[in-house]
Amino acid sequence: MGVMRIGHASLRVMDIDAAVRHYERVLGMKTTHKDAAGNVYLKCWDEWDKYSLILTPSDRAGMNHVAFKVEHESDLDQFKERIEAYGIKTTMLPEGSMPSTGRMLQFTLPSSHEMRLYAQKQYVGTDVGTTNPDPWPDDIKGAGVHWLDHCLLMCELNPETGVNKVAENTKFFMEALEFKLAEQVVVGPGGAIQAATWLARTSTPHDIAFVGGPRAGLHHISFFLDSWHDVLKAGDVMAKNKVKIDVAPTRHGITRGETIYFFDPSGNRNETFSGLGYLMQPDRPVTTWTEENLGRGIFYHSGELVESFTSVYS
Amino acid sequence: MHGNGTASRYAITVARTGERFECGPDEPILKAMARLGRKGIPAGCLNGGCGVCKVRIVAGRCRATGPVSREHVSHAEAERGCTLACRAAPDSDIELEVLGRMQKGFFGT
Repeated sequence: MGVMRIGHASLRVMDIDAAVRHYERVLGMKTTHKDAAGNVYLKCWDEWDKYSLILTPSDRAGMNHVAFKVEHESDLDQFKERIEAYGIKTTMLPEGSMPSTGRMLQFTLPSSHEMRLYAQKQYVGTDVGTTNPDPWPDDIKGAGVHWLDHCLLMCELNPETGVNKVAENTKFFMEALEFKLAEQVVVGPGGAIQAATWLARTSTPHDIAFVGGPRAGLHHISFFLDSWHDVLKAGDVMAKNKVKIDVAPTRHGITRGETIYFFDPSGNRNETFSGLGYLMQPDRPVTTWTEENLGRGIFYHSGELVESFTSVYS
Repeated sequence: MHGNGTASRYAITVARTGERFECGPDEPILKAMARLGRKGIPAGCLNGGCGVCKVRIVAGRCRATGPVSREHVSHAEAERGCTLACRAAPDSDIELEVLGRMQKGFFGT
């Protein structure tokens, strides 16, 4: 029983053609479905389920919802009970509410983001298959991302009014969804304020992260690459396609990830990153970053924050 | 105006600070500023989504180069000359007023 991994993110985009071009040509995803409402569904070559990204035409940017896949159909009923016992209302959306997808347990996080859990999504296979597979397919475009790996949600944090949606989300994820806390940033007198957290269900350092800010939003969705050189190549792909790079290749102290950040054509931030970081285990001690080392935690080389990175999100 | 094959370049002036830089006729104003390493207008996603580069055109004419987020520029504001500098290319010399600003960031930094 339990949550396995991030399953998909649904993003609002202002120019659907430009968005599809970006996620296909720059990230290297493939369109697997389009629905009557104009939503476009895409997957990465190393993913086996039908889609991991939905692009929705809108007049603004941002995230509609994030969904995680659970292991068994019956987990949805158990999570429904557990989440409602925690004090959060849920709605069970019937099978087919989203194409090729089973029923979905829908609820709103303390931070106001919409989240969903599901157990079934149509299996379509990876691009290399399961029998004597090559390590990568020949028709990869752009950066050739392997899979949607995690997302970072901005959550309202206002110590003066006592609002801390980072801490509330973290408590909910740990108690109701059985995520493990990998790393945290603590600020304020005595480090009393939990201002950012990185949480895992898989064996990697994070499947979702929460960072405190003035309002709720999407900071980024992130895709996995094999190596540091692939991150450099992703940067080359962005230059060729005139993509706005937010942060040039560097390393995070937090999670140890090797990374490049950039924006999709509607201003939703993307990351491609490489490196396992470390093996996340249930008994691994929590890593804590203190306020005065925040810059080093985020950008390990420079140790300095980047204004657009910390202030701009959709 | 562009008849001899040499594209005109327009002067962009930021009101109050007096910051001034050149911009090509098909180039978003913010992109020109960033390309030249200049300052004056807050720069975020450069793709119409984040709203930090919100400006009001005080003098001159602009063309939209793509959609702007309605979360940050309403139709009414657009009619009053507001837009995002990342989505506006000049059709003349431009004077603009900066309305957007960087919000507080991570943990209120």
